[in-house]
Amino acid sequence: MNVLPLQGVRIADFGQIIAVPYTAQMLAWLGAEVVLIETEQRLTTRIWPPFAEAEPGVNRSGGFNMVNSGKMSCTLNLRDPDGVELARQIISVSDVVMENYSSGTMERMGLGYQDVRSLRPDVIYLSLGAFGRTGPMKDLVGFHSVINLFSGLASVTGHKGSHPRIMGGLFPDAFSGCYCVLALLEALYHRANTGEGQHIEVAMTEALATLLPEAVMEYTLDGTEPERVGNRHKEKAPHNVFPCQGEENWVAISVENDVQFQALANVAGNPGWADDPRFATSEARLKHQDELEPLIQQWTERLQVQEVVRGLQDAGVPAGPVLDSAQVLSDPHMIERGFVQFPGHSVVGARPLGAFPWAVDGGQPGVARSAPLFGEHNVKVLQELLQVPDAEFKRLVENGVIA
Amino acid sequence: MFQEGALSGLKVVELSDQISGQVAGSFCARLLGDAGADVVKVESLQGDPYRRTGPYPGGVPDPDWSGLFLYLNSNKRGVSLDIESPEGRAALLELVAASDFLVLGQNSLEVERLGLRREKLAVANPGLIVTTITPFGLTGPNSAYLGDDLIAISAGGMAYATPGIPDSVGDPDLEPPLRSNTNMAGYLAGVQGAMASVAALLSRTIQGTGCEIDLSMQEAVAAVMPFELAHASYHEAKPRKPEVFGVMPNAYLPCQDGYVVVMAVMEAHWRNLMDLADNPDWAELEVFSSGVERARNWDALEPLLLEWTMAHTGAEIAQLAQDRGIPCFPAYTVGQMVDSAHVTERGFMVDMQGPGGQKFKLPGYPVRLERTPWQLFRPAPKLGEHTSEVLGEWLGYSAEQLLKFGVGAR
Repeated sequence: MNVLPLQGVRIADFGQIIAVPYTAQMLAWLGAEVVLIETEQRLTTRIWPPFAEAEPGVNRSGGFNMVNSGKMSCTLNLRDPDGVELARQIISVSDVVMENYSSGTMERMGLGYQDVRSLRPDVIYLSLGAFGRTGPMKDLVGFHSVINLFSGLASVTGHKGSHPRIMGGLFPDAFSGCYCVLALLEALYHRANTGEGQHIEVAMTEALATLLPEAVMEYTLDGTEPERVGNRHKEKAPHNVFPCQGEENWVAISVENDVQFQALANVAGNPGWADDPRFATSEARLKHQDELEPLIQQWTERLQVQEVVRGLQDAGVPAGPVLDSAQVLSDPHMIERGFVQFPGHSVVGARPLGAFPWAVDGGQPGVARSAPLFGEHNVKVLQELLQVPDAEFKRLVENGVIA
Repeated sequence: MFQEGALSGLKVVELSDQISGQVAGSFCARLLGDAGADVVKVESLQGDPYRRTGPYPGGVPDPDWSGLFLYLNSNKRGVSLDIESPEGRAALLELVAASDFLVLGQNSLEVERLGLRREKLAVANPGLIVTTITPFGLTGPNSAYLGDDLIAISAGGMAYATPGIPDSVGDPDLEPPLRSNTNMAGYLAGVQGAMASVAALLSRTIQGTGCEIDLSMQEAVAAVMPFELAHASYHEAKPRKPEVFGVMPNAYLPCQDGYVVVMAVMEAHWRNLMDLADNPDWAELEVFSSGVERARNWDALEPLLLEWTMAHTGAEIAQLAQDRGIPCFPAYTVGQMVDSAHVTERGFMVDMQGPGGQKFKLPGYPVRLERTPWQLFRPAPKLGEHTSEVLGEWLGYSAEQLLKFGVGAR
């Protein structure tokens, strides 16, 4: 068993909705002790669908449970000065603080980086914002759709001649979260070597713009804006998704060179395609995609997705199924690799989730544990860790400081 | 002039697919270089495939000035070797033996063919961390499958989920799954590969030995969709049609000059939005009295909202709405994003200059680390630019050895 890299690291997680909670969850799985500080007055994913079997409840939300597993939940009213004081105490015993409130919110509570440094000089403090914490748009409100639209990603997503589209999967949150995990691991390594903490600032819009080097370069060279091309590619053809037998079943096929195209033609039972001057070379195929794609479709739509994938892969042609979420979680390949994990949960039971996309020496690099119930760890965090006396704890509960 | 990075003093060898190219391995290694590691990119004598894909500053193909190559390979040194020759392979293995990380962006068949599994390499270098990034991983029934960005985006569930909420312009049920025209899966797997590598580095400080990381691009995509997977895991259908989106408006609508997201799911936002629309009579109708009612009666509400959005430009709507804290925003072009005061003031884009003095920009680094800031330590290497330098410095090759080598040294 690989040693969990973040054993002994404690994190105060002030994350909202997806991006920072998702980041902190990965760190929890890597061995960190993550205290999620929740406020009853501003619940988000806990009260949003999807709920287990569509039945609402603060401990039943998949949107919450699948980005907060492995954490401890501590419910504090951060609108009450006593609640803020408890949060300060949690921070004072934490190595890392992470937040993605609106710009200025943490500072107004007295929990900004400068405040926190006086409690913990070597703290690593991460702030993530839709537009970041500086610049004229820092105060703009932005969820994933806004970030898709501002960053230019939407402008390169869409069908030919059609309008910009928004990526699925709340992509900006999770992609920014990956950059955050990388930055935090680097900062922890730096701290281990030097004793120095630091502030880390991330703009989700900028994370998305890192996907667009060619488009940025072309625009800044001569003002050319990229066209939307559907699933097509500037050098590969065919390069698209094709319908298969049944409803909503698709196969993705990407042919990179003439050898692969010959192989595809053979598998499709039409070896002559490769001799057809319209399709014989990459250059020709790029020009005649409108003619080629329907021919391929006539072949794929008679077959099951897996028949097409296996046939093409056996012949050395890149192909894959277009999976929906349920198919991802039941995919025998990813299950065998350990990507799909089933952490338990006392209210909704063990449900599949996607864990780390990599294995370490053949096993998962971390451990996905259950998501906390609302306020489940108040006693553990406040009484065992912070040593709040019984009488004081009781008073704080009665005053609604601890929910 | 340069500060130390978080990973200064560590060595990385990168070997990415020299036939098909692979963004993920190159980006992963660049990110380690961005943090200060000494990254050596090993290329074939012909050079990395992305040297031939452009765009080019002067419009003229030039392997040292291909835009995607420049972007993926800054903060690296470049060594050009024929690793199929005995001398080239020996040099590669010696570099790996002297390194902390080996990053392999290949398909799994090629990883096996090259014999670059950690089991063998660790004999000479027990601290070595090997990070392999392959289309479907090194194990499991589909591990031998070939794949590129389209295949990973599709098999990881992202294509099916796109367009995502609240994009329901047109009829999503009738549209085929969609990929963005970017190397999204490659960048994603690159960031995750760097993440996995640094996590392994932290483990190494505890246990003393390295490890082998087996990252699958299919899983790289699936791993960033917790919300989509939650719908399947919790047995609640994912809403693709607005009338079942619970509360409205959270909509992507046409406006005078393009498209705009109008999001006013909270009552305060809705009232502010109606103020902006001059409080039309229909705003008081019972059928629009709550977010849930507005969702139920979206077919009636959508055309009424359209009247308002079509009377304004996207920029006007965003300005009016954001002044009142309502998250609305228009679809920007790449140019609008690049030229925005926000991006300019934050200094996100990096200024570049081509061989003929052409000025252009590339995206910078999206994370600001106060003590270990991102720096452009060096631009991407020209083909074979550092072959002699690195073989001399890392391996102590003499001038004579280098000559005998015929390594394409400059």
